[in-house]
Amino acid sequence: MNAIVEFGGFGEMADWQAMLDRNRELFAAMDEGSRIGIVSREASGILPGKHLEGVQRAAEVDMLAWQVQGGGMQAVVERFSGMAMAKVDLLLVADAEALAAARADLAGEALTTIKKSIRRGNIMFFVFRNKAQLQDAGYEDFLESLGLAFLGACR
Amino acid sequence: MTTIAVARPGESKLKDLFKPGTVGKYTVKNRIKYGACCVSNYNGRDGTITPRELARVRVIAGTGCGMITNQGAYPDPWGEGKAYFRQVAIHDDKFLPQFEMIARYIHDAGAMAMQQILHAGRYGGIDLGYCIQPSVVPQTLPHFRPPREMTKEQIAVTVKQHADAAKRAIRAGFDATEITSFMGYLLANFNSRFTNQRTDEYGGSVQNRGRFMRELIDAIKQATPDNPLSVRLNGAELMDRWGGNTQDESFELMQQAVDCGVDMISVTVGWQEAPESSFGRDVAPGYWNFLSEKAKKMFPNVLVAFGNRLPDPAMADQCVRDNIFDYWEVCRPLLADPEMIHKAAEDRMEEVRPCIGSLNCLSRLFRDLPYTCTMNPMLGHEVEPEYHVTEATEKKRVMVIGAGPAGMEAAITARKRGHSVTVFDKADKIGGNLAAYAANDLARPADLQSVIDYYGVMAKKLGVEVRLNTEANAKFMRSVLHEYDACIVAAGARTDLESFKYMPGSELLIDALEVAHGMKTVGKRVVMIGGGMIGLTISEFLQKAGHEVTVVEKEKRVGGDIMPTFKWRHTAWVDELGIKTVCSAQLVKVTAEGATVATAKGGEQFIPCENVIVSSPRRANHDLFYEFQWMIDELHGGGDATVPRGLDAAIQEGYKLGVRI
Ligand SMILES: Cc1cc2nc3c(=O)[nH]c(=O)nc-3n(C[C@H](O)[C@H](O)[C@H](O)COP(=O)(O)OP(=O)(O)OC[C@H]3O[C@@H](n4cnc5c(N)ncnc54)[C@H](O)[C@@H]3O)c2cc1C
Ligand SMILES: Cc1cc2nc3c(=O)[nH]c(=O)nc-3n(C[C@H](O)[C@H](O)[C@H](O)COP(=O)(O)O)c2cc1C
Ligand code: SF4
Repeated sequence: MNAIVEFGGFGEMADWQAMLDRNRELFAAMDEGSRIGIVSREASGILPGKHLEGVQRAAEVDMLAWQVQGGGMQAVVERFSGMAMAKVDLLLVADAEALAAARADLAGEALTTIKKSIRRGNIMFFVFRNKAQLQDAGYEDFLESLGLAFLGACR
Repeated sequence: MTTIAVARPGESKLKDLFKPGTVGKYTVKNRIKYGACCVSNYNGRDGTITPRELARVRVIAGTGCGMITNQGAYPDPWGEGKAYFRQVAIHDDKFLPQFEMIARYIHDAGAMAMQQILHAGRYGGIDLGYCIQPSVVPQTLPHFRPPREMTKEQIAVTVKQHADAAKRAIRAGFDATEITSFMGYLLANFNSRFTNQRTDEYGGSVQNRGRFMRELIDAIKQATPDNPLSVRLNGAELMDRWGGNTQDESFELMQQAVDCGVDMISVTVGWQEAPESSFGRDVAPGYWNFLSEKAKKMFPNVLVAFGNRLPDPAMADQCVRDNIFDYWEVCRPLLADPEMIHKAAEDRMEEVRPCIGSLNCLSRLFRDLPYTCTMNPMLGHEVEPEYHVTEATEKKRVMVIGAGPAGMEAAITARKRGHSVTVFDKADKIGGNLAAYAANDLARPADLQSVIDYYGVMAKKLGVEVRLNTEANAKFMRSVLHEYDACIVAAGARTDLESFKYMPGSELLIDALEVAHGMKTVGKRVVMIGGGMIGLTISEFLQKAGHEVTVVEKEKRVGGDIMPTFKWRHTAWVDELGIKTVCSAQLVKVTAEGATVATAKGGEQFIPCENVIVSSPRRANHDLFYEFQWMIDELHGGGDATVPRGLDAAIQEGYKLGVRI
């Protein structure tokens, strides 16, 4: 059941859920329990140049988690209290502009918008599993769709 | 009797590049530094240098550079600093004999020998379950190990390990050492605000962040007081959007290194994690020279080395003259053609096998594979006699069908071995599909065209006969029966339009290769069937020229056959140019109004357009194998004519045929 709740920065969960459902093929190969977290840059304090403190801090902020549950990708909001507790495979840290852009495109190509924000630097991201682990967990399609697999590394 | 060295013609033209210089107490014969671009993955898993590596280093030593930097060796016994699967180690005296050999090779070639010490920091610990960093900032690429924060004791140990490694290198006979922050290694991790968020004296201000570097420099200088030390530092990290150093901070760090008495600053650009290119195909040669110019202006009394994406000796010569740098630090162009400096010195630049910036070399390292080069099939095989061009015992008359990269490579290699070679192509020029690739490429068409030009020059120089406008078929073969001993079929691949034969509207389909070769023009709205390298390249070109392209791909994603290091560029172009993509879809019908595709969801989608172009599937042109098998003594094939792939395979296979036939 998807309750329609307004969470600071993330908008309505039902819209996120609908977007994830539309893109279900991307997540089809992912293992049960795979998790991607999204937090707001401003709220979390994971600011460029001071991101470590934010990533580690215990102070709680909302985190939008996409998690594979019951065979599908579910959007839920949780409390984020540092990367150790978050238990996510990838953490996206989006600034207000990127979050607003993603929200505005939830009925359309939100993942493309997120990809563009990553490229522009409006979304920082961190990876907590290595490539083989992510591949084994079925992340390949998703990583490719966000362009994460090819960012950096010898260009 | 005194002998007077006579300058070779190119040396007189490129006077500033070929003039001698000094580094510390050493005289260097020219202003060319072989950049440490030799992490090869050819070595033992424990860091032991192998015969394969030694054979490769012999070639590097002979490149003609005045100064040779040997590949980055990791300095710690645990492998925390180890970035690559088969990287060289320098943490123990047991490695000395091979380093001694390398230093000897370099000296025998009349060059100054520099050993790089590379602790990979955030990108290290490749065999371990962790890596070490100033702070535990997680990585942004899914390739690396989880980070651990270095204690102050670990920092002290690491500094000592670097100094010991430097001492060891000098004992092995090297003249100088280098530490590197290239692409985000440990030194860069301390220097950068992105990865160094410590609150002790090693973090915080630029001064504090530079402390580790200053300690490294001091320790190495004390350990090897008579030997020059070079430090590779970022002029731009390209990480500032994520909180990395600004350019000003980068130059402040250089100032600190200068104040500590380093002998040379080598300016580099970018991190592996940076969201933009630093030296890929899409970066224009000379693009980053301004960073070096700034360093030279700021530090006129310290030697500056630079060469990032600067493949041209003439440009390098001008830069030395203009005081943009003191030493041209060149790397990949010498992977592609280890003879480049000699050819420049002899004014034979047109004979240089160009580096096209494909980054096949580096991308293989990150897949734990030995490095190879798109343009130089010999690279990495120096130790194998089978790969060397040797005089053929039996001189043959060889016919090559196809003047694409596979055919031309086979032809010039076979000719070098003494065979007489004739190349036949039905087209009116050489280059095959590479010419079409170059004509549609948005990144650096001139680089691709330079490969074709190189083949043309070499064919002429070596006396390879090229007969254009000549289609080889059974009738033609009968007309030349017994004139040749061997035939190489390098006829490439074609678009498999036959596979659409029974589809309604198949007669309206247009072959992508005809569009790419400029033989067919198309209307405003176009559907491209196939989102692989050929389909995307043509689509990007068309869209940029004002067409509206929709790419239909049967796989889940476009770009499946593109080299990983360039795939991102194509997906970025697709987004930037606004090309529409429809994936997991197959063409089912074409009319004058448009294309109908079946989608994965079971439905059909109509895409209005004037033309439907087909780029995929491709089919190898191997019909000639069947036709010729009873007509010639030896029949061989290579490149796309055996299995449709790309440039790499074409050149590698062409060469292998040439050295074996
Ligand atoms: C638009 C485009 C984009 C591309 N992008 C990339 C890329 O990003 N990366 C990559 O690696 N590769 C790319 N390629 C592919 C690359 O160009 C080919 O893989 C490469 O050229 C193959 O070389 P080849 O020598 O095997 O065959 P070809 O280059 O196809 O040469 C074959 C030659 O044989 C001739 N021939 C054929 N039949 C006969 C006959 N019967 N008699 C006489 N002559 C004959 C043809 O005229 C042609 O000149 C691209 C190609 C195109 C067209
Ligand atoms: C295969 C390969 C290996 C490299 N290894 C190192 C290395 O060990 N240490 C280092 O500082 N830079 C290394 N580099 C970077 C090069 O020294 C150089 O800075 C870079 O390739 C840009 O110069 P270029 O355009 O002349 O190739 C490597 C580059 C390549 C392509
Ligand atoms: S693989 Fe590509 S980038 Fe690397 S040296 Fe060869 S041609 Fe240049």
